[in-house]
Amino acid sequence: MNAPIIDPLQGDFPEVIEEYLEHGVMKCIAFNRRGTLLAAGCSDGSCVIWDFETRGIAKELRDKDCVAAITSVCWSKYGHRILVSSADKSLTLWDVVKEERIARTTLPQTPLQARLHPGSSTPSICLACPFSSAPMIVDMNTGNTTVLPVSISDTGNGVVPPSRNRFSDGSAPFSPTAACFNKYGDLVYVGNSKGELLIVDHKNVLICGIVPVPGNAVIKNMVFSRNGQYLLTNSNDRTIRIYENLLPLKGGLKFLEESNHAGDEQDGFEKLKAVGSRCLALFREFQDSITKVHWKAPCFSGDGEWVIGGSASKGEHKIYIWDKAGHLVKILEGPKEALIDLAWHPVHPIVVSVSLTGLVYIWAKDYTENWSAFAPDFKELEENEEYVEREDEFDLMPETEKVKESDVDEDEEIDIMGVEKDSAFSDSDMSQGEICFLPADPSPDVPEPQDKFVGSNSKQGDSNQSVSALSEEAGQSGRLTSHISTPLEGNIKSEFS
Amino acid sequence: MALTIDPTESFKPYTLKHTLPAHKHAISSVKFSDDGRLLASSSADKTARIYSISGSSAIVRHELEGHEQGISDLAFSSDSRYLVTAADDRTIHLWDVSTGAHIKTLIGHTNYVFCVNFNPQSNMLASGSYDETVRIWDIKSGKCIKVLPAHSDLVTAVNFNRDGTLIVSSSYDGLCRIWDASTGHCMKTLVDDEHPPVSFVKFSPNGKFILVGTLDNTLRLWNYSTGKFLKTYSGHVNSKYCISSAFSITNGKYIVSGSEDNNVYLWELQSRKVVQKLEGHTDTVISVSCHPTENMIASGALGNDKTVKIWTQD
Repeated sequence: MNAPIIDPLQGDFPEVIEEYLEHGVMKCIAFNRRGTLLAAGCSDGSCVIWDFETRGIAKELRDKDCVAAITSVCWSKYGHRILVSSADKSLTLWDVVKEERIARTTLPQTPLQARLHPGSSTPSICLACPFSSAPMIVDMNTGNTTVLPVSISDTGNGVVPPSRNRFSDGSAPFSPTAACFNKYGDLVYVGNSKGELLIVDHKNVLICGIVPVPGNAVIKNMVFSRNGQYLLTNSNDRTIRIYENLLPLKGGLKFLEESNHAGDEQDGFEKLKAVGSRCLALFREFQDSITKVHWKAPCFSGDGEWVIGGSASKGEHKIYIWDKAGHLVKILEGPKEALIDLAWHPVHPIVVSVSLTGLVYIWAKDYTENWSAFAPDFKELEENEEYVEREDEFDLMPETEKVKESDVDEDEEIDIMGVEKDSAFSDSDMSQGEICFLPADPSPDVPEPQDKFVGSNSKQGDSNQSVSALSEEAGQSGRLTSHISTPLEGNIKSEFS
Repeated sequence: MALTIDPTESFKPYTLKHTLPAHKHAISSVKFSDDGRLLASSSADKTARIYSISGSSAIVRHELEGHEQGISDLAFSSDSRYLVTAADDRTIHLWDVSTGAHIKTLIGHTNYVFCVNFNPQSNMLASGSYDETVRIWDIKSGKCIKVLPAHSDLVTAVNFNRDGTLIVSSSYDGLCRIWDASTGHCMKTLVDDEHPPVSFVKFSPNGKFILVGTLDNTLRLWNYSTGKFLKTYSGHVNSKYCISSAFSITNGKYIVSGSEDNNVYLWELQSRKVVQKLEGHTDTVISVSCHPTENMIASGALGNDKTVKIWTQD
């Protein structure tokens, strides 16, 4: 998707709220792999899929059995399936294109987060992190759950065999345990309430390595960067930590097994720590030492160059942006509503945040029109340059007419068909038939007086409340039709036409 | 019927296969659908027709009536389910291809709508108008998402590239502009020293080049990243009308274009030689379209002729 003349905006970050999306009360969001679709879980149990390019609703997944708030939403790798976890303790797997429910399971506890296995295009295995017990692998087809170990006994006698349907660590109740798949899903990384990072082989239910996090604070969130090279942990000691993944991306599990046999350290806890130190290396720590704020929903940018975290303080909507070197580059401030979820667009420098009121704010770069793009021979300069004229600059030379020589060799072969692979998506397997967009079904015009569109400026599109066809959708009580609204006042720079 | 000039070793000439029943007034545009099963033609007689192709014959499936004034352009969606027509009544109509029913009217332009095209995802539409703007529309709701202050004269053509990230627009003001489809920002302006009115522009199949037709009887292939043109095609006549051209890629690479001398011209892409002139129309050939998979060309001509002709290589 990168054309050579579009500015390489990959290394940049957003600055202002561009737009907001409104549809019921949205609670959590997830982009598909290419960022063309945004799935949002709502408080009424439905999941809305926004077409991010038109900022309109593409599909709505609604299940009559599920009316409790959605706690998390996750896409399958190529966009064919969506997994939603809900406050009524259920997990629902949807087929996106057919808008059909594939499977539904109920867990003993409300899952706060559920992630589909990232390695397959039609996954039915997922990782669920329940409210106050150990994370588990759930097979959506059979409903089987496999609880993952969250600690080993301190005597160091090896792994405590996990038993099903029992809380496997005796820690205090209501302590969430964070977990995530690595990039290809062969390993699960678990962060427990003792501040330890466990590397778990989920197929054999075996802890392969342990990395104690400095500070030993409860780990609240964990997420990998898109390229699988960095792991982010968010701990109760108000610190976000970035670890470098030392394992090879593909076949990490094999590598671990081989190195396990190779090393001859002591057994048990020390051995697991030694293995762990070969898997992850602490890279950076981020915290706000002045306000000592807790972090909410931290994550990486699409290219892994930036880290963002939302402030968990109620009553403020602040997003901190750090670069990989550890410098705080920007604090985005939104309207005074608590932030509950955050996502960075996989490709563009766009950040999407969900506020407590259920609105989804889209943050983008504050664009100043590149005027030199409108005139071909002009080049914008950063600062004034002193121009020194040539001796013969203004001489009239009538005998040598300036002939425009075409220095182009018109006989050169050109290729109008060849296409380069998209470098931003290195493991794009086109044979999988990735879903990049959902076919748009235009809603038919209703024969009633059409309202006239006000002449709009190029940045925002039309003002809201286009009445005619949109308000006729019956049968969905309380459902607002999607519309693009002008941004709120306050911290947002006013738009110019 | 067809005259061959400079035959290259392997070029097989196209011959006229069918002349479709005439419209009541001049044809303005002909297009094949992306799946190759349908052909559509629009006319100044305010109607558009959808034909289904079987072999090399075309049968009228639907006549689309509803515009209040003549239609200037039409486009199929990439899944061939929808068709849009742009007319002088300042509206764009969206039609269902299978039933021929009118679905939506897109209102917003303040003058004749001249050109229209879907993006490859077919969730958005770009249209250019005499009001000097390019508008981007959301198909689902029919709302205008963006208005680009594109040119200082009428906009003659709009086209998306193959992944829908860029839009190219051309105008009588002599400029071609490239826009970022998602933000609406101008990325580049292409203009030659003498800037004759640009009557047509479209992206090459791989999106790296643009084919530009100007009213000085010339077609050029530009590399828009470097801003230089790489090939020039001439020999045809184009100084009055906005004649559309196409890439023919099913059997070798050619450029196909209509002409004001009533012929369809074919040039070999690399050598720029005219390999064939298709004769048969009795007025300016205003629009040509190449079938996506078969060696078939459809052409439509102006008021003296009013027919669509289908040419094949056999």
